[in-house]
Amino acid sequence: MNDLKNSNTRIVVTRLVAVLVVAAALLLAGGAQAATPGINGTGPAGAPVFNLDAAANYISQPDGAQIYSWGYGCAAGFAPTFAPAVFTTLHLGVCSNMQVPGPTLIVKEGDVVTVNLTNNLPVGAGNTSIVFQGFQVCAGTITAGVCNANSGVAGLLTREAPPCPASTPACTTNTVSYTFVATTPGTRAYYSGTQLDLQIEMGLYGAIVVLPNTVPTGCKALGNDTGQKLGIGNTGDDFRLAPSAYDHPETCYDREYLFQFMELDPRIHTQAEAQVRAIATCVASASNICPTSLSVKTEPYHPTYFLINGRSMPDDMDVDYSPNYPHQPYNGNPHMHPGDLTLLRTIGQGRWEHPFHQHGNHVRILARDGNLILSQNDTQTPPRLGGRMEFTTDTYPGQSYDGIFYWSGKGLGWDIYGHAPGILGNPTCTPDVNGYDTSAAAVAAGNYYEWCQDHNHPLETNPVGQVGGGGPVTQFDPQIATNGLWYNGSPYLGPDAVNRSAGPTPQPPGRATQNPQPESGIAFMWHSHNEREITTNDLFPGGMLMMMLVDPPVWFIDETL
Amino acid sequence: MRKPYQICLLLLVGCFVPGIVSAQSPTAQGGGSFMLQCPTTTAYHPTVYPAGAGEPAYTGPSPLSVTVGGVTFSAAANADHQHPPYISNGGQIKCQEISGGDGMMTEADGNQTYMFSFGPLSGIDNIQHGLPGTLLNTDFNNPCQLNGTGPVVNCYYNNPMLPSVCGPAAPASCPTAGAAGISGNAAITDPTYDPSKPINLNAGVRDPATMITLGVLNGNIPAPLMAFDEDDEFFLTLSNVGMIMRPDLFEQHTVHFHGYPNASSYYDGVPDASWAINIGGSATYYYLAPDAGTYFWHCHITPPEHLQMGMVGQLYVRPRQNRVPQDGTTLYHSLQLQQNDLRTACNTTSATNQDLLCSVPMPLSDNGVQHINDSFGQPTKYAYNDGDGSTAYDIDVPIQIHGFDPNFHFVGMTFNPEGFADMKDKYFLLNGRSYPDTVGIPGYAGGPTVAAATAAGSPDVASNAIGTEDTDGRTRFSQPLPTLITLKQGQKALLRIADLDVTEYQTLASLGIPMKVIGFQAKLLRDQAGNNMYVTTNSITVGGGESLDVILDSTGIPPGTYFLYTPNLDHLSNGPENFGGLMTEVVVQ
Repeated sequence: MNDLKNSNTRIVVTRLVAVLVVAAALLLAGGAQAATPGINGTGPAGAPVFNLDAAANYISQPDGAQIYSWGYGCAAGFAPTFAPAVFTTLHLGVCSNMQVPGPTLIVKEGDVVTVNLTNNLPVGAGNTSIVFQGFQVCAGTITAGVCNANSGVAGLLTREAPPCPASTPACTTNTVSYTFVATTPGTRAYYSGTQLDLQIEMGLYGAIVVLPNTVPTGCKALGNDTGQKLGIGNTGDDFRLAPSAYDHPETCYDREYLFQFMELDPRIHTQAEAQVRAIATCVASASNICPTSLSVKTEPYHPTYFLINGRSMPDDMDVDYSPNYPHQPYNGNPHMHPGDLTLLRTIGQGRWEHPFHQHGNHVRILARDGNLILSQNDTQTPPRLGGRMEFTTDTYPGQSYDGIFYWSGKGLGWDIYGHAPGILGNPTCTPDVNGYDTSAAAVAAGNYYEWCQDHNHPLETNPVGQVGGGGPVTQFDPQIATNGLWYNGSPYLGPDAVNRSAGPTPQPPGRATQNPQPESGIAFMWHSHNEREITTNDLFPGGMLMMMLVDPPVWFIDETL
Repeated sequence: MRKPYQICLLLLVGCFVPGIVSAQSPTAQGGGSFMLQCPTTTAYHPTVYPAGAGEPAYTGPSPLSVTVGGVTFSAAANADHQHPPYISNGGQIKCQEISGGDGMMTEADGNQTYMFSFGPLSGIDNIQHGLPGTLLNTDFNNPCQLNGTGPVVNCYYNNPMLPSVCGPAAPASCPTAGAAGISGNAAITDPTYDPSKPINLNAGVRDPATMITLGVLNGNIPAPLMAFDEDDEFFLTLSNVGMIMRPDLFEQHTVHFHGYPNASSYYDGVPDASWAINIGGSATYYYLAPDAGTYFWHCHITPPEHLQMGMVGQLYVRPRQNRVPQDGTTLYHSLQLQQNDLRTACNTTSATNQDLLCSVPMPLSDNGVQHINDSFGQPTKYAYNDGDGSTAYDIDVPIQIHGFDPNFHFVGMTFNPEGFADMKDKYFLLNGRSYPDTVGIPGYAGGPTVAAATAAGSPDVASNAIGTEDTDGRTRFSQPLPTLITLKQGQKALLRIADLDVTEYQTLASLGIPMKVIGFQAKLLRDQAGNNMYVTTNSITVGGGESLDVILDSTGIPPGTYFLYTPNLDHLSNGPENFGGLMTEVVVQ
């Protein structure tokens, strides 16, 4: 009975907070975007150096929780440049000394990478370290090709950075150094190699992106990508790190996003925080022996937060480097134009698998853990792609994949722009060899990458505004439906189409706050299909969920906003 | 730091904007909020096919000359790039009708479980017999002459006995007529029944009273099966009949076609990204069928809740290769014909003319295989447009993997909030049943006879459906789909496996018969060079929201009974019974 009473109490809380979460989404600035923000090393070309530390701080969740966490960050005195370069002036000049996930390290194929790690974790946390999946790492110095693994102190998976001794809290011995050659391109995980069940859960993980050395034939050079430059008010910026993901012409891309999935059990964090505090405040005496190390139970594991880049929905759709989340700088908020080849760099950082469903189309898996998957026995050179196409992409613990997604509306059977012949200014659609209009005229007319076979073919039986009739379907009465926050109010793409179909076609209340009229994209949900993971500590919506927007060519996708 | 929603708390009234639109539309459907759509002809399909017509042959693309909305799109010319012709690849107009509401099912240990669920409102008899509820438009609309004379009109569903599960064969089992309050007797129970129309148990339901009477508490697990062919146009009408067991909820429902390539947002069923139909209304989803494969569908309202509660269905699209004429055309040549239409082409040979996500690349070479007959003497069926016949099979076996958490369902039936993080499935379901119900229970067709299909948990002797007695005392057949796979030695079964579990990955293993995985997530397993990447194995693992295609080939397999079961050993349970769960049988004869 008591349980029931508690449950009844919670219904009020749940419903109220659900309303608040929705309200929070309403207040988010519409149109926040992402890219793959990260940091470049300092040091000479070909030998980047990253001075990182591991430290404690709090991350925030949309239910109001402030969760004690550990994360990698930039060590004191380390001032890296930011990538893509356009973020340099927009990230407030701060590389936090603790963030979750850790800084995304961006290097080039063939670079000799050095990562120096300083252990600034609280007293009692013990040693820490980093392992780099997929690289031959020397935990020390390399002399004439021979590794002298003399850095830090011995550990199991790798050498580790010890804490400062209690007697000298400002020591210089709390470091370890790793050196490796970034042999092949791709996206890979890095994470703690010390007491992994605790330290990774606490937040000690991040990503390293290796960019290819060459620009494969057919890829668009940085600064010269039509998809990037579309839209009114574009600044000519290119938000890509490179023209391609690998040294292969089928890995060219127009846009990129990095998603790191993680689940979080707050009980582990609460225990760690309490024990750290107990160690810090304990006064030893003859009758009181103070604890000196943590003993945190990491089983049974019962996560209640499900994170994309350290944030839960709707926070993940707020901007990169938002001051609201000083220790969670990276968002998850993909946007694209029709036809943009969109590179998804994805890492499963936790201990669980997450089947992640991309609404709208399949994803071509290019590579897993940086290993490009190619066709067997191909007559062509280089061999063509061999990775699977998936509409629900698996992310396994510790594994990464690179995949390419795009959306074009091909084969819908009706004109996604609601074009109608005879309307003043209605554009033409001149198909290229693949059936899309990729002409300069289409750039000017705002229907770049339209699928021409369906051009001017109506959807609706009755004409609506200036959108023609004669199509197959009659719309439902708008009085009997409920509209979403990302719904532009019509079946069509772009402000022009939405305007022309205005009138009888239902418009959402006050227009779509998350997809306002000047944008008028079409939205798709990308989310974990272990559906309970799209909750935040029992609240829906939340967790591993984001809204992807296909924006019309007239809308400039500014990834820094 | 003050978060946006904390500010919003102060302004709560202003922040909470009601989502219901009040603008009246003169061009939207009129005449009430329940409404069907299943046109006779469209621009793509200007020809009316008679009821029961087979599939038209696939002979390659051909442009049509049609006038649409007063505009002529000519097959001959599109010189101004404003009038591209409609290109026909065959296909037909197909329709289906479903209700969104609630219902009850019976677990294998006898536990009655409440569901949020979809039920059939077309193909009702087909669904009850484990078949798709998708119909050719002519079958759906059921054109007839009233009393056998006069003009032909659309007669739709007509049945003197409601609810539908009674059927004309067993009127004595229909003493009352369901939750909508129609009291009745064995003589006649349906006030909407019109004796001037022929009886048709499969056609669409147009009358709103009949929709409610049939739809309330009529939910199925799995939700009604949908299957159609590439190049079809598909009109799916969803009517939200409300959840009579939870009158405190005002839930919308939607249909999400999971995995559909290049989907529109408008028909994608995500309420945040588009619209959702309220209680008491209908909306029609419209899809072309671009790429063959095993998809699935589900409601997208509060997915962790509505999926767990049972709003999950199966969906597959059959390839145009099934329609290749038996005139000496090779499958390879047929796939070459598909390259003549950019919509169906898949060119991977040129750096400038390729599609990273196109459906099926050409196979390495022409192996000369033609469209011969299968073991039933019918034209062979294929899973994909393989161009080499390598995905041929004899029987389709849709298999939905799912899990029910009885605590969540109990809470869902009462008035408490559900906890999501604590969700823990205890019943593990293949097509909405755990073993041994997956292969049948006494009274099953072919099994021991029971007198009448009235008791809770009783099967229907005429079909394989399991019914559950609902709170109004009526038994409705809510679990129509067994997973007993029977093969004559040498036959192949295509297992179309879809996992809708919302909490964890599931493994399904085959004892004795190898599993050949030929498709993954609605794409043929073939690399861009044309090599088939099929994998032979004895177990497959799928996460929620994933599907794959497996062929079980009984060639050389000695007659006997084989098992498909999960090696997730704790999933071999039926709630408190440490027995059963995710398991079924394959009988080789």
